[in-house]
Amino acid sequence: MKTKVTEVIRQWSRAGLMIIVVVVATLEATSILQYSFSRKGMQEEANKRAESQLEATQNKIMDIINQAEAAVRNSMWIAQWCLNVPDSLHRVAQRIVEDNPVVVGSTVAMVPGYLPRRPLFSPYVFQSEGGELRFASLATPEYDYPSQEWFVKALEDESGYWSEPYVDTGGGDILMTTFSMPVKDANGVTAAVLTADISLDWLTDLVGNLTVYPNAFNMVLSREGKIMVCPVETLVMTKTVNELASQMDDSVSTRELNSSMLSGESGHVHVKYKGANNYVYFAPVKRTGWSMSIVIPEDEIFSNLKRVGLMVTIFQVLGILMLILMFRSMFRHYEQNKKLNEKRERMEGDLQIASGIQMSMVPKVFPPFPERHDLDMAADIVPAREVGGDLYDYFIRDEKLFFCIGDVSGKGVPASLVMAVTRTTFRNLSASEDSPGKIVRGMNESLCAMNESSMFVTFFCGVLDLASGTLRYCNAGHNPPLILTSSMQFLPVEANLPLGIMSGMEFKQQGISFRYDDALFLYTDGLTEAENANHMQFGEERMKNVLHGRKGAYEHLKNMEKEVAAFVGSAPQSDDLTMLFIHYLGGQADAGNLRMMFHNDIKQVSQLESWLETVSRELECPESLIPSLNLALEEAVTNVILYAYPKGIYGPVELDALREGDSLKFVLSDSGKPFDPTARPDADIDASLEDRPIGGLGIHLVRSIMDTVSYEYRNGRNILTMTKNI
Amino acid sequence: MDISIKKEAGVTTAFLKGRLDTPASLEVAATFEELKADAAGTTVLDCSELSYISSSGLRLFLSLRKAAAENGGKVIVRSISNEIRSVFMMTGFLNLFEIE
Repeated sequence: MKTKVTEVIRQWSRAGLMIIVVVVATLEATSILQYSFSRKGMQEEANKRAESQLEATQNKIMDIINQAEAAVRNSMWIAQWCLNVPDSLHRVAQRIVEDNPVVVGSTVAMVPGYLPRRPLFSPYVFQSEGGELRFASLATPEYDYPSQEWFVKALEDESGYWSEPYVDTGGGDILMTTFSMPVKDANGVTAAVLTADISLDWLTDLVGNLTVYPNAFNMVLSREGKIMVCPVETLVMTKTVNELASQMDDSVSTRELNSSMLSGESGHVHVKYKGANNYVYFAPVKRTGWSMSIVIPEDEIFSNLKRVGLMVTIFQVLGILMLILMFRSMFRHYEQNKKLNEKRERMEGDLQIASGIQMSMVPKVFPPFPERHDLDMAADIVPAREVGGDLYDYFIRDEKLFFCIGDVSGKGVPASLVMAVTRTTFRNLSASEDSPGKIVRGMNESLCAMNESSMFVTFFCGVLDLASGTLRYCNAGHNPPLILTSSMQFLPVEANLPLGIMSGMEFKQQGISFRYDDALFLYTDGLTEAENANHMQFGEERMKNVLHGRKGAYEHLKNMEKEVAAFVGSAPQSDDLTMLFIHYLGGQADAGNLRMMFHNDIKQVSQLESWLETVSRELECPESLIPSLNLALEEAVTNVILYAYPKGIYGPVELDALREGDSLKFVLSDSGKPFDPTARPDADIDASLEDRPIGGLGIHLVRSIMDTVSYEYRNGRNILTMTKNI
Repeated sequence: MDISIKKEAGVTTAFLKGRLDTPASLEVAATFEELKADAAGTTVLDCSELSYISSSGLRLFLSLRKAAAENGGKVIVRSISNEIRSVFMMTGFLNLFEIE
């Protein structure tokens, strides 16, 4: 049992651990799955946002680029037309600047040598800081416009060329770029290059202010990798991206990125900078050869994910903690159960031991006195639970059988403890005391002194003198035993209180004498009150029926137990069942011995007639004697019943009949107060009517009918012996 | 024990039937008290069906007889069996009662 409990607990804690592991694994798996899906979604979101912004920004840039290109293209025909009138060429430039707000400067730079008179000619119109138009000539030896990039490249590309951005030192350090396009004359000969300068201030505003994430930033690179727009102003136009690449954590991939960007590709890559991951989205700006990029720190993209992830983790940790606490409390609960079980097992074990101790307190050996031929006795106790409150005991001392039966109020352990005390007290007191009245009185004092639990004991104590057959007994509230003689009746018992109720109580002792073959059956109410499933009780009638017939003591008890078991059936035993059967086989085995018992009840004298019929038959005396014997005995018995015991007291009166030669002998005995009926003066039957007393006739009749009448008081008993000659 | 009373022409007759032992005497004591109340007249105790009597019964008879004597009545005991007659003899009742 113990190992079973431990096993259960171990299995439970193992199951608990398993459950926690499974829950954690499931949570983690779903979290990871959710995290990766969210991450993917966020990544896609970031891609979309970056790409759409790239596109939007490009559109805006292209809008300006197109305006500038359109300004040049739309003026191309005028420039062609004005080639013949070189002095009017500045008007073309002027018109471009005037008509197009985005254009801050314009020139028509003649291909050297095209104009025979003017080898270098390039009238330049630009907006001053104040917004006024200014005129200048780029045909200066210092500037040497034919060597300038915008001039050279434009001659190579008929569709026009956007110059690398440059800082215009003349116009107040403005970042500029120039669109230049060749102008062909009517013969298709390239005659000049028409340009439009645009300031890139707007670009910084446009690109710099657009951010998809708070810490994201945009960059625009020129065709040669110069940084045109970037949050770090010191880098603008001073560094190329390739120069910056060496500062990156992974310069190789950065260089690859740069080359992709500068070759006009679009896409996104992952770049590490100072340990932080960044996503770089890039796309080319058409026509210009620029590349625009958006740099988004990875943390920005996934900041929400991180926050959510953190919260999810916190909840998970809390949940798992709760789960662990739950399992711990469950485990504790099981620990407690285990302890309770162990306690119960211990108590059950203790109860079994107690049961053994209790059973060893009552004599269980059968036959109890194998060496004695004057006694056949048996006893048994069937407790309703492991331990009970019933007891019996017997032993022989000084040729006297001391015996007792008792029933402690209540059941179980408390009753069993009182039972043990009761039995011990009985043994102690009966070791030196012969009087059952004194034994019971002493027991009552002991039990009252230690009885704080208000339990009481119904108790019957008897001392049977095995030589003489005299039984003295005292009953303390126990149900009266059955006495089995030629008839079967309840032993007359005094109405004493049970033991343990009140100290200082007197317990009246009574006595009868046993003859050969008389028996006493003592029992507790567990016998008569044994209930079957229909709550019917076994009852006295059934009990008496079982006791009919001559059997051995042991056989009687086993028979009774069998009958009770058959009657009770499946109903649970509610009370302890205890029985004691004492079959007296001492004294003279005299077949002529007949006995009648009276319960100190006057009505019983009516039974004398039938008893005397038996006596007449058994003792072989003439039936004609019956009426007179009946009368004499009735008078004698009535005398005892009316005078031996105080009024209302229930006392036994025994009448024995035996044959002695030619006479019948009747012995009437009782344990009432000493009373000698023969001491009374005989009635004067010759007195006149007036002088005749009403009473006094009874003893006179006895004397008249019987041949001898003698009285003696012996061993606390009145004994009236009467003989009748046949 | 059964007892029945018949009153006829100033004569009260009590028919006693069965055994008048001690318990029976206690039962019929009240009836005898009624008879004593009428003791001034003639009371007949018919014992033809009385099979047994003990001293308690005798006491009832005697007590009735005394009451009759005091009130000038008389008690007649009628038809007693031999057994009862011998009891009457033993107790001197034959002298005290008018036996028919």
